[in-house]
Amino acid sequence: MKTSFTLAAGVALAVSVLALSSPASAQVKDSLTIYNAQHEGLTKEWAQAFTEETGIVVTIRQGGDLEIANQIVQEGANSPADVFLTENSPAMALVDGKGLFAPIDKATLDQVLPGFHPANGNWVGIAARSTVFAYDKTKLTEDKLPKSMLDLAKPEWKGRWTASPSGADFQAIVGALLQLKGEEATAAWLKGMKENATPIRGNSTAMKAVNAGQFEGALIYHYYYFGDVAKTGENTKNVGMHYFKNQDPGAFVSISGGGVLASSKHKEQAQAFLKWVTGKGGQKVLRDGTSFEYAVGKGEASNKMLTPIADLQAPKVEPSTLNNAKVTDMMTAAGLL
Amino acid sequence: MTLLTLTSLRKQYGSVAALDGVDLSVTAGSRTAIVGPSGCGKTTLLRLVAGFDAPDEGRIVFDGLTLADGSSQVPAHKRGIGIVAQDGCLFPHLTIRQNIGFGLEAEATVKNARIAELMDMVGLDRAMLSRKPDQLSGGQQQRVALARALARKPRLMLLDEPFSALDTGLRAATRKAVTDVLTAAGITTLLVTHDQGEALAFADQVAVMRAGRFAQVGSPREVYSRPVDAATAAFLGEAIVLPADIAGGQAKSPLGVLPVDDVAYRGKGEIMLRPEQVTVMQDSSPDGSSGASGTITDINFCGPTSDVRIRLGSDPQGFSFRLDIPSRETLAAGDRVTIGVAGAAHLFR
Amino acid sequence: MTSITDTRISIAPRHRLPAASFWTLTIAVVVALLALLPLGFVLWAAAVTGWEMASQLIFRSRVGELLANTVLLVVFTIPICAVLGVSLAWLTERSDLPGARFWSWLCVTPLAVPAFVHSYAWIGQWPGFNGLPAGVAISVVAYFPFLYLPLSAAFRLLDPALEDQAASLGLAPFAVFRRVVLPQLRLALCGGALLVGLHLLAEYGLFAMIRFDTFTTAIIDQFQSTYNGVAAYMLALVLVLCCFVLLGLEASLRGRSRYARLGSGVARRPKVARLGKWKYAALLVPAVTAAFALGIPVLTLGRWLIAGGAGVWRIDEVGLTLWQTLVICLIGGIATTAAAVPIAWLSVRRPTRASRFLEGCYYLASSMPGVVVALALVTITVRAMLPLYQSVATIVLAYVVMFLPRALVSLRASIAQVPVEIEQAAASLGRSPGNALLATTIRLAAPGAAAGVALSSLGIMNELTATQMLAPNGTRTLAMAFWALTGEIDYAGAAPYAVLMVAFSLPLTFLLHHQSKKIAGR
Repeated sequence: MKTSFTLAAGVALAVSVLALSSPASAQVKDSLTIYNAQHEGLTKEWAQAFTEETGIVVTIRQGGDLEIANQIVQEGANSPADVFLTENSPAMALVDGKGLFAPIDKATLDQVLPGFHPANGNWVGIAARSTVFAYDKTKLTEDKLPKSMLDLAKPEWKGRWTASPSGADFQAIVGALLQLKGEEATAAWLKGMKENATPIRGNSTAMKAVNAGQFEGALIYHYYYFGDVAKTGENTKNVGMHYFKNQDPGAFVSISGGGVLASSKHKEQAQAFLKWVTGKGGQKVLRDGTSFEYAVGKGEASNKMLTPIADLQAPKVEPSTLNNAKVTDMMTAAGLL
Repeated sequence: MTLLTLTSLRKQYGSVAALDGVDLSVTAGSRTAIVGPSGCGKTTLLRLVAGFDAPDEGRIVFDGLTLADGSSQVPAHKRGIGIVAQDGCLFPHLTIRQNIGFGLEAEATVKNARIAELMDMVGLDRAMLSRKPDQLSGGQQQRVALARALARKPRLMLLDEPFSALDTGLRAATRKAVTDVLTAAGITTLLVTHDQGEALAFADQVAVMRAGRFAQVGSPREVYSRPVDAATAAFLGEAIVLPADIAGGQAKSPLGVLPVDDVAYRGKGEIMLRPEQVTVMQDSSPDGSSGASGTITDINFCGPTSDVRIRLGSDPQGFSFRLDIPSRETLAAGDRVTIGVAGAAHLFR
Repeated sequence: MTSITDTRISIAPRHRLPAASFWTLTIAVVVALLALLPLGFVLWAAAVTGWEMASQLIFRSRVGELLANTVLLVVFTIPICAVLGVSLAWLTERSDLPGARFWSWLCVTPLAVPAFVHSYAWIGQWPGFNGLPAGVAISVVAYFPFLYLPLSAAFRLLDPALEDQAASLGLAPFAVFRRVVLPQLRLALCGGALLVGLHLLAEYGLFAMIRFDTFTTAIIDQFQSTYNGVAAYMLALVLVLCCFVLLGLEASLRGRSRYARLGSGVARRPKVARLGKWKYAALLVPAVTAAFALGIPVLTLGRWLIAGGAGVWRIDEVGLTLWQTLVICLIGGIATTAAAVPIAWLSVRRPTRASRFLEGCYYLASSMPGVVVALALVTITVRAMLPLYQSVATIVLAYVVMFLPRALVSLRASIAQVPVEIEQAAASLGRSPGNALLATTIRLAAPGAAAGVALSSLGIMNELTATQMLAPNGTRTLAMAFWALTGEIDYAGAAPYAVLMVAFSLPLTFLLHHQSKKIAGR
């Protein structure tokens, strides 16, 4: 028995050695660990180009906006992350609220459009996306489209639309609604949504369902449409894009953010990365790549296929105070989560 | 009256003929034993009668009804033939009560009364009714199996080596109990066994089976005393087989001149004696009484009996045979003995 | 047998073996405590949350919806699986169905396709097929082998003499099946149904893809919104209670009786039922099952592979993912099997009340859904054991908790096959007890250990829920990559990962089939 014990102990030892060596590998001098909630393909493109330029090796951990934001909060000072990238602002606000970000270099902040970073400068916008109502062109004509996102909570829209309430994208839209219209109106709207909408997991899937004729419309972001058109177009044949505009809550433009962790041991490299992403190189990836998100750099045009960001008539929303904890509580209370 | 008739039954399994033309007729109320070494086809025969398998050829007629004729076949559940298998074959998921009542269709009170009656009949305590089969001994399980088969009052009961799994002591007692119950109920019985003692003790009619055929069918005494050939003789018990010259009911053999049970035959042949016909006496004087003389070449003490090998005559190459005799202290290898024979020898034809 | 073993062992030098037993028992206890960590965590979380908060999060309409979904899913899926499993097992084991052996293999093969790949395949064919009907249909094809396997083994072990006996007592064939055969299948039915039920509760990917919400998908939604918030803990608590309900139901339906064959002698080979003119109608059952359970995945994967062409086989990404998956499967498989060695040895060589209790703990722990295990380990490591946070050790521990019984079954069977006398013979030839054990039992049980590694690796390869919550930074398994790509409806890009998972699972599935045959004695 003694020998088999030794054997078992040996295996256990080997396993733990492997175990300990794994996170340690991320601590190599010229390396960065990115907690990424942006689309994986986009961040990979950024990371590869950045590594080619600087030689800094990048490790990416993939997850959802708020999953990772909450994870960072839990990890606190011990977080292995150096950089945090999101699709939406609320996750940034959450981490910033706990004081876990280091201030962004002024040069970096100055690279982006005004209003695309919070006033305290603790994180910076890296890209943007617009809310849109993707609808079935074979079923809805312009005059039958909702004038405001708020209309979707009305009884006549029962059973006709879909969204992905478990995703951070949608929760950011609700966050903007909360900031713009207050708690009571938001709770009422969520109640109407619970009645009217069929939840689907994933924005692409929601758009695909609209294209397949299962729903008349989906409340999603704009770039899913263009991404599909650029690929095969098979999930967008019947889909039309309706921007609410008029400073409607449904015209909300969500800022994707990037921040440097205060606990990072590679702050210099982390700052360099965000500077690169918001600069010429990173914004060019947005313009020429397949992400179809809006560029936010000063003087950086977005992809030609997109409606210019200035024409979207987005409502004015302060990104640093978007409160996602409140939103998830309200959505949980409404039975959407 | 004949209850069961089997006519030219044949059954092949692959290239092996399990049954190769079997005929049998069973009288109502009688007990028939089919005895043979394992693999002789006796269990196959039973399964054909029970309806678990279909014969390739031949007919089975039961109580005037044709159960099987070539390809047409009455299924087992419509035959009304009971069977008790080697290990009882009780349903492990049911209690004793449920096992016995399994084939009974009656309202609960009638059923319970009948079950209690059956328990009494097979000599089991009614307190066992709520137990599961695995809480019973082997002998008790067999009694339950019998009660279960009796419940439907079958006209024919098939017993498939029902005692072979039991200990020696239990075997005789269980056999006696089963025989008594079946006799009291007047049920015709067909027993399959490889134990010749059991077959002879149990049956009115014994069928000796070998390689898919009946070598001999007859009363127990008949098949034992007058077997058709040496192999049958040896299967049913110890036999001393001797070459002999036969004429006029007398046989000249190494054991001297013996009467035979065939007065007509003349010529050379083989005769058989059962050990109980033979007595061995120690020679006190070299030229003692009548009968053949011989020498003990080997002796093994086995308690009440001793296993001896005797060589006849004085020729070292002479005829020799082995025999169990009552043990006697004085006998030893090398002793000269005189052999006496009672009754007639049986001539194989 | 055991009593003989025990007396013989007591003759051996006393001071060594009890010490060995003591240490083995100690390790087994430590493993059991680790395995029960997730369950303990959920109960602890419920306790600290407080009644007011907990009841607010539990007694709400959303939980009611999820509960209704879960109950409906279980109530529809399990009976359908049971009927399908019994029919297929009977056809392949007890009838003269043409190509029975071939169909028998096909009935196990769906296990090589991860449940979420089944879902992906069906969505590929019928994009509008969603909700409860889709959940039930896909669950049936993904999980019916869990019932088919034990049922076909049970059919093989049934003593056909009992059926003959019942016929002689006047029962028509169908009545024989109902009153004699079915009751004896009860153990297999209950065990298989429990396994299917636990998978239904634990599965994420299958249901997430077809828009059917269960507790597991809701916990993941909460996890993605709040990482490890109280709402997620409370959903996990209800999910764990559902598991307990299933375990309790199974225990009470199974009963206490054993259905071992009574008496001695070798059971006859089961009789084969002649299907006659029904032969071709009967062929439809396995053929249609195979068409849905294997045809659809093959069709969809084939279509996307063709659509994707060579471009989707990005060797740098696919290759790296495959390599990482194989490494983590191997580490997880070996660790799981090693963790099972002490209890396997104890339960064969020193079966006591304590060892049986420990075994019970392992089974209970492994019936916790992966999402609960992962949620617990994430929270415990991030709050109290940071060095282990996001480490391979933690994810391996999750795998040990989830898959230990798989390794235990194989190990125990092979240790039981080595007579203790061989160990003693080695000792009598001058080997020390430990050395004797190594030279005999361990050596001879090696094939069982290998099977244990293989079967737990199969589980790990197709595990998605816990893996994506616990994977160390930079680690990505085939299942994770597949899931990420389908999330962006890049179905063509996901196809190579699915194909690789199936390709590596296939031989392991056949091993499972082979093993079940061996346990059944043929």
